[in-house]
Amino acid sequence: MTTEPEARRRAAPRTLADELRSRPDEALVELLRARPDLLSPVPSDLTQLATRAGTRASVVRAMERLDRFALQVTEALAVAPDPCPYETLAASLPGGEDELPRALGLLRERALVWGGDDRLRLVRTARELLTPNADRPSPTGLGPTLAEATSGMSPGRLQELLIAVGLPTTHDPVSALAALTALFTDRERMASLLAGASEEARATLAKLTWGPPYGEVSERPSAPVRWLLDRGLLLPVGSRTVVLPREVALHLRDGRAHRRLEPLPPALEPARAHPRRSVDAAAAGQALAALTAVEELLTSWSTAAGAPPVLRAGGLGVRDLKRTAVTLDVPEPVAAFWIEVSYAAGLVASDGEADERYAPTPAYDVWLEQPPERRWARLAGAWLASTRPAGLVGERDAKGRALNALGPGLDRGPAPELRRRVLRLLAGLAEGEAPDDEVAAPDVEAVVARLDWECPLRAGTETRGRIARWTLREAELLGVTGRGALASYARPLLDAGAGARTSLEEETERALDGAAARLAPLLPEPLDHVLLQADLTAVAPGPLRRPLAETLNVLADVESKGGATVYRFTPRSVRRALDTGRTASELHSFLAAHSHTPVPQPLAYLIDDVARRHGRLRVGAAGSYVRCDDDALLAEIVADRRAAGLGLRLLAPTVLAAETDPVTLLERLRSMGYAPAAESAEGDVVIHRADTLRTPPRTAPEPVPDGPPRPDRPLLAAAVRAIRAGDRAARVPHRPDRSAPSAPDAPNGRPPRTAAADTLALLRSAVRTGASVVIGYVDADGVAGRRVIDPVRVEDGFVTGYDHIAAEVRTYPLHRVTGAAESADADDG
Amino acid sequence: MTGPLIVQSDKTLLLEVDHEQADACRRAIAPFAELERAPEHIHTYRLTPLGLWNARAAGHDAEQVVDALVTHSRYPVPHALLVDVAETMDRYGRLRLLKHPVHGLVLETTDRPVLEEILRSKRIQPLVGARIDPDTVAVHPSERGQIKQALLKLGWPAEDLAGYVDGEAHAIELHEDGWALRPYQKQAVESFWHGGSGVVVLPCGAGKTLVGAGAMATAKSTTLILVTNTVSARQWKHELMRRTSLTEHEIGEYSGAKKEIRPVTIATYQVLTTKRKGVYPHLELFDSRDWGLIVYDEVHLLPAPVFKFTADLQARRRLGLTATLVREDGRESDVFSLIGPKRFDAPWKEIEAQGYIAPADCVEVRVDLTESERLAYATAEADEKYRFCSTTASKQRVTEALVRRHAGEQTLVIGQYIDQLDELGEHLGAPVIKGDTGTAQRERLFDAFRSGELSVLVVSKVANFSIDLPEATVAIQVSGTFGSRQEEAQRLGRVLRPKADGHEARFYSVVARDTVDQDFAAHRQRFLAEQGYAYRIVDASELLADELD
Repeated sequence: MTTEPEARRRAAPRTLADELRSRPDEALVELLRARPDLLSPVPSDLTQLATRAGTRASVVRAMERLDRFALQVTEALAVAPDPCPYETLAASLPGGEDELPRALGLLRERALVWGGDDRLRLVRTARELLTPNADRPSPTGLGPTLAEATSGMSPGRLQELLIAVGLPTTHDPVSALAALTALFTDRERMASLLAGASEEARATLAKLTWGPPYGEVSERPSAPVRWLLDRGLLLPVGSRTVVLPREVALHLRDGRAHRRLEPLPPALEPARAHPRRSVDAAAAGQALAALTAVEELLTSWSTAAGAPPVLRAGGLGVRDLKRTAVTLDVPEPVAAFWIEVSYAAGLVASDGEADERYAPTPAYDVWLEQPPERRWARLAGAWLASTRPAGLVGERDAKGRALNALGPGLDRGPAPELRRRVLRLLAGLAEGEAPDDEVAAPDVEAVVARLDWECPLRAGTETRGRIARWTLREAELLGVTGRGALASYARPLLDAGAGARTSLEEETERALDGAAARLAPLLPEPLDHVLLQADLTAVAPGPLRRPLAETLNVLADVESKGGATVYRFTPRSVRRALDTGRTASELHSFLAAHSHTPVPQPLAYLIDDVARRHGRLRVGAAGSYVRCDDDALLAEIVADRRAAGLGLRLLAPTVLAAETDPVTLLERLRSMGYAPAAESAEGDVVIHRADTLRTPPRTAPEPVPDGPPRPDRPLLAAAVRAIRAGDRAARVPHRPDRSAPSAPDAPNGRPPRTAAADTLALLRSAVRTGASVVIGYVDADGVAGRRVIDPVRVEDGFVTGYDHIAAEVRTYPLHRVTGAAESADADDG
Repeated sequence: MTGPLIVQSDKTLLLEVDHEQADACRRAIAPFAELERAPEHIHTYRLTPLGLWNARAAGHDAEQVVDALVTHSRYPVPHALLVDVAETMDRYGRLRLLKHPVHGLVLETTDRPVLEEILRSKRIQPLVGARIDPDTVAVHPSERGQIKQALLKLGWPAEDLAGYVDGEAHAIELHEDGWALRPYQKQAVESFWHGGSGVVVLPCGAGKTLVGAGAMATAKSTTLILVTNTVSARQWKHELMRRTSLTEHEIGEYSGAKKEIRPVTIATYQVLTTKRKGVYPHLELFDSRDWGLIVYDEVHLLPAPVFKFTADLQARRRLGLTATLVREDGRESDVFSLIGPKRFDAPWKEIEAQGYIAPADCVEVRVDLTESERLAYATAEADEKYRFCSTTASKQRVTEALVRRHAGEQTLVIGQYIDQLDELGEHLGAPVIKGDTGTAQRERLFDAFRSGELSVLVVSKVANFSIDLPEATVAIQVSGTFGSRQEEAQRLGRVLRPKADGHEARFYSVVARDTVDQDFAAHRQRFLAEQGYAYRIVDASELLADELD
């Protein structure tokens, strides 16, 4: 039963801390979830929490995360009387009545507004931030109040104003001001006062009504301005500047705080709709393309020749980006995106060598072995959390330095949050799950407009719009969306952090698993055959199994990519395959095994033809030589003019020596149209296979959000517990005696003393009920003290529990516990 | 697995021909996609802006294109590609060329910024006249072709709705006694006529002349026919007299030898492009009569100056005929913008399957050079290498052996190098037709070959085009113009006319192994391989071994 004074106390808390204390734990959890900066470090008690919630940095951060209407409510409160009754606030926001409770609820939850409905209070820092002054006009366009604008005005001048508006004069400036304010806020009297204004005077007022409220006047103001100044309807703030007092502006605005109130978000109209089947199919196709793109990128970076150097200032050079874009056959911004996604997923990093280069990490090899849906989930997860928008690549920072892919300066803290917001908007439009359900894609500009409403202060209008546009583009590239609508399998990604009772990592992991599981059935089954054709092409009508694809990539050149792959066999590609140690017959059987139709004769011929010539020439390293069983062939080479630079001599009819090193020699002979094979000292054919490059183990880069990480449920719960406990510990000694007979000593700060049996019983019951108890405890030095604990276990002569004062779990030997009493707060609420 | 089509991100479309829906799919995509390759299992089509605009011109819209792709595709079609298709097609028709009752030819737009954009282009400015209203600008009638060409290059193709002049009427009928236009020829004529102007692509030997005749019989007006050379001009004349109501007096020849202008006039590209004192004196031919139809034979060979004349002829119906719209100079888009879009196209193998062209066995004979030849080849100057390897004695021997093997069959030996041909002619005891052979002599030899008096004829590249040798069953190519794909196709065309006994034609290409000859041969064969002609490769040593048995 609540006593009368306590009810009043609840209705009218004196401070924010007071009000926070009266909120249930769940509300505190919500507060800390919404404003995680309050958690670092965990405040010791509620007073400290309230203080921290009122600091400038924290308030700015909280306001940045408000939607447009909540912000408008805040702005209205900032120019309203303090405290402000609900009705007054509602009156200044006509049209927003329906939404006002929601907005106020949000502001209360975020601890920006407190107090009962009869006395709403905006936290002081927020009020100060929004109070208009000459440098920073209020977003409402309202000027200072009459009192603020007349501060420093001589009493004589005030008298003149009173006379001009026909009020009885008084020498007391305070009552003079009060009288003037009363007049300005009285609709009828004000209306009759303004009725006397000339047309020009009214036009002047109209100009300032919606702000900015400041105007320039000449040194000798015109008659209408003079008339207004005489009546205090305009007040001077400098020699040539005048201001419209807030009360006057509000009268002219019919009490509205905002010219255009936006209580509801702009509707996100669907621009196009497609069946769910088609959206998912398109997205899954793109998801597969994303995997191919990343694999292709990192394969090309796997060789010594392909791994791009790290710029001295960090990042990937413009030329290397261009080269990579050409390799991938995509525009540069798309190439930059794949590079950044690979980096975010920890698949590529700098190798840390003296001449630093980027190369795939060992994690890439692990990634390659995973099934495609897992590989995709890894990319998508990394992308969602990344604070590095790839869209910035190629631009310049404020100092004019180029922003490079993988380079510094790309981090944009709000990116992950905005990305999620965009995807949630898409999710709202794409709810149908059945294959025939129409799911919709929004217009880009509508998404941007919606974000402008949802978080108008986040990241600056321009950056926000760009991140939103990039997100839509990147989501499409990555296969998170298809034909502009959210793919059904991407939906679990958005669930991460939705409030399940697990840690953030687990939640993310589960979200990725969920997405992967739903994506898997949409991906085409890899094929184990290709179609061979007489025009020396092979068509793989779908994704190929890995070993098959790898061999084909060596044996033939890729001509066209997409759902299918078109390969072309050329003498050069066949030679490449022979160079890796395969024999002609192996190649024949490989093709026969993977083709449903007979191998076309021209293709078989091509392989035989190249193989016949392959390795006929053997090149050694000992000063380098060429040997060949065919005298004429050597003679042919020696006679060839193109061989002039090699310094060739015919050593024996079948051996030719060269001055150049074997590598150059090989290249030159090949360019002359021969097919030599390198030879080892033992006379074996050296098998040439390009080494693949890897970095040492590397972890993926941590995203750099512009705030503390989102706290998860267990952390929040623990924090609230700790704060409460601290609060209790801080206040327990001061609480009045509220007649707790079992522990008469406890409230007075002395360690409780009870019989051992009672102590045990109380502790055991506290374990069951989860209540807090005060125990008396004698420490190792024999000093008696008090502890407030939440016991969790009583066994083997020890009590284990959360110690509120130490803010950690401790274990106390029961024989040292002098007694126990219910904590004074235990029945508090 | 559903759908026979795979849409690749590089805008190629792969059609699996053995799929049960392949035919339906082919019909759906044919209006907007260019057939690029047609080998045995997977045909490759390509989406090009030109193709998409042609589809728009033929009345197809982006919705239909997207629908065709999405319906037949096995995998999801990349969204970016669909967007690109829609955007590309949307560019067509924003500008229209119209006939204005007062101002004559005008360019009108439905999208003012586009008009503003193109009017700022330096290439367009000299072609337009006064601005009539914000959406309309006058165009000099003589610049109709130029402006279409320029607009196409700017990516804003104009829809030409200004229509055609009828030209001077002249009665022409097809004499269909004992023969009739084949279905695909009829279809080609109809597509052409419906579209107004354009190009018909048919394989060699599939009867392109008859498509021309059919078009003339539909137009029933005076016609100017442009052909590659005099022999070809005579053959056209002969064919027209046989197949239509035209008499000898109604058909004129305008060539180096004769300058006749009659209701139907056949002119050679050569005479038109003869330049004297910096001017083209024969240009007036185009204005000498009020032509109702202009036919361009072998349009892939259209010389550059003729493009220029053609640009001035946009008010007249134009029909281009070709077997391979592969221009080695890459000016296919000029053909499309000036003569018109491709109106009809049929894969070679399809016509073969219908029995209208003979099946052909293409064989590449690989000749091993002797050691001394290889040595000489290795030491030859770079620019002599091809000539050397393609004229080696080893190839001569193999060629002669091939001729012997087909003794009694009508055999053509085709080559590039005159010395080589002369030598071959001498060894084989066969006459040689080359550039300096007089027209009369040529015709005499052709007649002899046709009648069977002669069974072996050695020809240089002058005979590449438009010679009509109905009974050639074997062609042996000993050398060619480097890697020219269309030359190879034309040469194969020499033997593709259906044989009286349904005999299979043979096409040999003799190639020196391990030389640039082999590389060029591979390039030359690409077009045919892509049309589904699979080359067999045979070792010369095996062939000659047979010979000894």
